[in-house]
Amino acid sequence: MRADGRLLSLLAVSAAALLWAVPFAWMAVASLRPGIPADIASLTPAGPFGLGNFVEAWKSGSFPLWYLNTLIMCGGILLVQLVTISMAGYAFARLRFPGRDLLFSAFLLQLLLIPPLLIVPNLATLVSLHLYDTLLGIMAPYFASAFGVFLMRQTFRAIPRDYEEAAMLDGASIAALIRHVLLPLARPGLVAFAIVSLTAHWNEFLWPLMAVSSPKNQVLTVGLASFASGAEAGSAWGIVAAGTFLVAAPLLILFLIFQRRFVSSFVLSGIK
Amino acid sequence: MDRITRRSALGAAIAIPAAAALAGVAKAAERTEIEMFFPVPVQGMLANKMKELIDRFNGAQAGVTVTPVYTGSYDDTNLKTRAAIKAGKPPGAVIMSANFVREYVINGDVDPFDPIIEKEGKTPAAYFDAFWPALKPNAVIDGKIYGIPFQNSTPLLYYGVDAFRDAGLDPDKPPATWIEWVAAAKALTKPSGQRWGLMFPGTYDYCGWITSGLVMANGGQYFNHDYGGEVFYDAPSALGALRLLDIMVNQAKVIPPGVSDANGCTSAFFAGRTGMMILSTGSLSFVRGNMKKPYRVAFLPKSMRNAAPIGGASLILPKGNTPERQAAAWTLINWLTSPEIAGEWSRFTGYFAPRKAAYDLPEMKKYLDQYPDAKVALDQLRYAVPWFDTYNTVAVRKAMEDQVQALLSGKVKPEDAIVAAQKNANELLRPYVEQTALKPLV
Repeated sequence: MRADGRLLSLLAVSAAALLWAVPFAWMAVASLRPGIPADIASLTPAGPFGLGNFVEAWKSGSFPLWYLNTLIMCGGILLVQLVTISMAGYAFARLRFPGRDLLFSAFLLQLLLIPPLLIVPNLATLVSLHLYDTLLGIMAPYFASAFGVFLMRQTFRAIPRDYEEAAMLDGASIAALIRHVLLPLARPGLVAFAIVSLTAHWNEFLWPLMAVSSPKNQVLTVGLASFASGAEAGSAWGIVAAGTFLVAAPLLILFLIFQRRFVSSFVLSGIK
Repeated sequence: MDRITRRSALGAAIAIPAAAALAGVAKAAERTEIEMFFPVPVQGMLANKMKELIDRFNGAQAGVTVTPVYTGSYDDTNLKTRAAIKAGKPPGAVIMSANFVREYVINGDVDPFDPIIEKEGKTPAAYFDAFWPALKPNAVIDGKIYGIPFQNSTPLLYYGVDAFRDAGLDPDKPPATWIEWVAAAKALTKPSGQRWGLMFPGTYDYCGWITSGLVMANGGQYFNHDYGGEVFYDAPSALGALRLLDIMVNQAKVIPPGVSDANGCTSAFFAGRTGMMILSTGSLSFVRGNMKKPYRVAFLPKSMRNAAPIGGASLILPKGNTPERQAAAWTLINWLTSPEIAGEWSRFTGYFAPRKAAYDLPEMKKYLDQYPDAKVALDQLRYAVPWFDTYNTVAVRKAMEDQVQALLSGKVKPEDAIVAAQKNANELLRPYVEQTALKPLV
């Protein structure tokens, strides 16, 4: 009985993995094939293969600049978020103040808003803050994260109060308490949030497209679209695949390196 | 050397764009700086070509500096332009899908070109006479010029010479009528998907464009060209067009069932897996560069008349710009649509040049001699009809597209499809109709 169940779940997991892997494998294969081959859909073509598509994709955009801008954007958002979500998370988890739960519910309501709805109001705010067409302008709306605050609140609440009480007996201030006691214990939550935040902002297209115009402030996704979206003609699949690979590569490498830590963070923080 | 701390790294991240923004302000004193939003519905090659053109423009005169801003697809460009206008940061000029111009006029988000043209001592009507007449309905709205056509296209019938010979058809005599078309598609079709008779992109936007072309070739109007509150989806001309598709997809089975996209069509065409395809003239250069076997192009076959809907994009003046910025945009627009530049862009892309004089240039005559497919695209302009544009264009267009897509998947009959499309379109148009044609008079 038990062996059967395990076999079934193994099959199900393998099927899901295969479903995820096929488009990815196809992208890898297609990116290595020059021109527009007749059997472009094939996963196991005969060849020829080459790196020409990567060269062409690299040349048709300013990838070094896009990488840098994307890194600054994602890194900047994450750094500020880590500060704001741990402080707000602590406040909602531990401090007592009137209207706390109401405020928290109001905060969570943000999760219900679909971001495109906020494009015009956010743009107007950026313009009045003189942040239109700057990287900081892309980052600003994300500095507070309802999801992050919720996650950190739950994480902090799961930490036994004994640690804090011991630290307070030793005379720690709230700042020291958060920094030296709670944050190290909340690391799985922070790491899990960092992954979600990085991938979300790395992959985001619409908001950077709206907030930034100058080529010097362009990010990867918007840059990629300049040669990946074909409305009237067909696309050179190989180049599109190569470009997509270039965009996804840093995240992939990051994940491969930190795979083990990521997985354990997700398990510990309860995000699946 | 200081150690780079997190804080200083973040500080730098904030300071760099801010400094760059300041530098931008300092330069503006000498030249008027404007942005131009542009979509490129094909590959990055075209985006690079556009940047090269703008560099040349910036170098060729001293008064204006233009920053070309690539803004994604036609739809993304539309979104970004609207958001930028609403946020008070309109670009100087936008290359906008020509069928969206009417909505900008309805919403009051664009300025007309008439005052600028009049200031130069020309009448707007005389100015627009320099363009192909078929472009007028999508650019001149309520008697004023709101769009200057830049790159335009019509759907074209592409066919493979080898496939035609193989099927016993004469490549010199492509199908000219719907009856010949169905017969040719039948002859070309080989069983089990080895070769289809015909393919066309049935995805949103393309689907409506081609459907409107079929309806107009069947003698219909499809929509009211002069008033944005009416469509004629349930007319006999529309029923006939949908019947043609129904026969080709569901009865004769010469078109693959379901919705193909443009990539699927070109891939199949290059591989010889479809004998014919309908695709934009804007794809001519792409097909020419990638099709290894001989192919030719022909007019869309006719039923009651030849007709080919216009597609492509026009330059518009978003509302909210100062007179200096408008003048700067005008300088750019004049340059971009000049016969020389419009002709160069046409040769590079396959779009036809909207200004008639472009075809009097020697380079253009040589190009047409060299590439007979481009000549056919140009000749089809005689039969060009306006592009679908109404109030709430995209949603109203989709009311028909959803039905056609269902028809292509065999889920609906033509008779029911046209009724449903008309009903949905009427509902979408009602708010506008009630404020305009049906507005209370007393």
